[in-house]
Amino acid sequence: MKELMLTPKKLPDLPLEAEAITPDSVAGKTLKEVKSLPVYVGNTVQKLGDYFDVKGETAETPSDQLVAIQGECGNVKYIGAGMTAGRLIVEGCVGMHAGAEMEGGELSITGSASNWAGAEMKGGLLRIQGDAGHQLGAAYRGSPEGMTGGVIVVGGDVGLEAGAFMRRGMLIIQGDADSFLGVHMNGGEIFVFGNVARRLGAEAKGNGGFIACFGGVESILPTYVYDTTFRPDFLKLYLRQLRDQLGVEAAGEYLDASFRRYRGDIAVGGTAEILIAEP
Amino acid sequence: MAVFTDVVCPFCGCLCDDLEITVKGNEIKGAKNACAISRSKFMSHRENRIMTPTVKGKEASLEEAVEAAAKALASAKRPLVYGLSSTECGAIARCVELAEITGGVVDNTSSVCHGPTILALQQVGESKASLGEVKNRADLVAFWGSNPPAAHIRHFARYSVTPKGLYVPEGRKGRYVVNVDVRETPTSRVADQFIKVDHGGDFELLLALRAAVRGTEITEDVSGVPAEEINALAKRMKEAKMGIVFFGLGLTQSDGRHMNIDAAVGLVAELNHHTKFVLTPMRGHYNVAGANTVTTWQSGYPYAVDFARGYPRYNPGEYSAVDMLAKGEPDAAIIVASDPAATFPADAAKHLARIPTITLEQKVTPTTMLSEVVIPVATAGIEVEGTAYRMDGFSLRLSKVVEPHGGVKSDREVLDMIVERVKALKEDA
Repeated sequence: MKELMLTPKKLPDLPLEAEAITPDSVAGKTLKEVKSLPVYVGNTVQKLGDYFDVKGETAETPSDQLVAIQGECGNVKYIGAGMTAGRLIVEGCVGMHAGAEMEGGELSITGSASNWAGAEMKGGLLRIQGDAGHQLGAAYRGSPEGMTGGVIVVGGDVGLEAGAFMRRGMLIIQGDADSFLGVHMNGGEIFVFGNVARRLGAEAKGNGGFIACFGGVESILPTYVYDTTFRPDFLKLYLRQLRDQLGVEAAGEYLDASFRRYRGDIAVGGTAEILIAEP
Repeated sequence: MAVFTDVVCPFCGCLCDDLEITVKGNEIKGAKNACAISRSKFMSHRENRIMTPTVKGKEASLEEAVEAAAKALASAKRPLVYGLSSTECGAIARCVELAEITGGVVDNTSSVCHGPTILALQQVGESKASLGEVKNRADLVAFWGSNPPAAHIRHFARYSVTPKGLYVPEGRKGRYVVNVDVRETPTSRVADQFIKVDHGGDFELLLALRAAVRGTEITEDVSGVPAEEINALAKRMKEAKMGIVFFGLGLTQSDGRHMNIDAAVGLVAELNHHTKFVLTPMRGHYNVAGANTVTTWQSGYPYAVDFARGYPRYNPGEYSAVDMLAKGEPDAAIIVASDPAATFPADAAKHLARIPTITLEQKVTPTTMLSEVVIPVATAGIEVEGTAYRMDGFSLRLSKVVEPHGGVKSDREVLDMIVERVKALKEDA
């Protein structure tokens, strides 16, 4: 894998929109071409090189391309948005829409991400070691489907409406989740190892989707019905995969746990499941 | 003495269209049929008026003020156009154009009132009817988190509670009025049934009601409302010939926001399997519905529209005025027919004082006091004709009953001048 290093110089006060920062848009280009990729500040078009030092090498194809950003990019939007292959590592925080609509490859953020990270993600792996903002992996406004594939792993807490309108894919939250987790969920899997605020799974249709909660739940909606306490084998398989392949250590502690199962949301005739680990 | 009949009131989203305005000379002498707020707007429209344009606090000619405004907007990297909801549609269209040619953001006051409603409607659709249908057909009227006697004074009498309709010939007696709120209000005293819901518990109650309408018996109390009351209300809603839910900021701005409306839309959709049911937001400013409508037909999106890339993008929370100002993004702002300095959170309002703010306004307001450029304009619906949209989405023609006070121009005319100058400045650059 060829490595390209981007180091932020003085970033503007206004948000910088830089969907140019993906393995896809740098692969096959010379460093000079990379430096002149367009980025947007307010209503002006600028060059990537104006705000980032660009060093290293570019690969022929995105899948052989590693892009590493060293420095805080909390006010840089769309980092890794729409990427299809390769690796993008950010050592620091990122602004809104990081990894939005990504289709493949790996985006790894050592700091925190702002709102809309991984929104409408289609594939690939998005890792956020810190916290994520609101609408993580959610559907954009008015859109009928949120995540349709891929995996998001968050080390810290997440904001409101994570996984909204989720259709497929996997969302793993190692910290706490705010209200409306998995709202309108219609497939996919959500795992939360911290505490989950109220209204999780609201208006979820189900379609095989579930929310597994390991660290407790503030409250369950009145339109979710308890049906059983059990030790599901399928969850054991998932948890092993989380521990062994994604490095989610906490997953290993619940291999033999039993879970309370609630079904809903009956307000929409849904069959989604909320599984809550028994203490 | 001239009497103008069927005058549309430019105050709230009811747009009552039966006012009789008496004018003598160029002065309004009477406003028959008007509610207290409307009468005050008509009778006091000359008070507290701004008489001349100002630039940095100094009196200026209209041309000088327009030039200063155009320069600030044309050179800005992140201009903001905000307000729009208390003027006529022609002026709103100019605002959208101004945002487009400056590569800025246009947002209207719905982002701080019924914005969540719009998010929900984009998410799950809408089942709606005209207020005329409500008057003629509705035999179950629910007011959820709204209190018309305080904000939409003639709503009960003209549209929703007391009028005799074609299929509701008994008027008030023919309608069952339900009020859901966190506390008793004048609406609950008029209602046949008052349901007191816990603070921030509307969402759960709406879901439970929907489940009950689907046939699930609710067995536990939800948000402080007894289970039997929920089951009984669901039954009553299903048995109505036509029902309507009027909802206000009690639902859009309480915990859950757009999801509350999402759940309300879901409840109404479910009820349509059994009977005719609709819902209507109680829009506040008289033309806030028009601000959404015009912005949508021009850009595809109803509010919080960003033209920075040359094409419209939409994302409330990112491109909405409060969020942008709180983050200190705009480097110039033009405020039309609104008073954000009085209504926005302090952080957001303070930023307006730091940047060149241009305000088009009739009266002295906190926003005009912090603005770099202030241009007095005529009052739409009193001094200027135009179109406005009622809360149910119907367009009505606003009347001009007197000449503009002090000969000032309309919002539309001033915006035309600014747009023309901005275009010229952009071409020169």
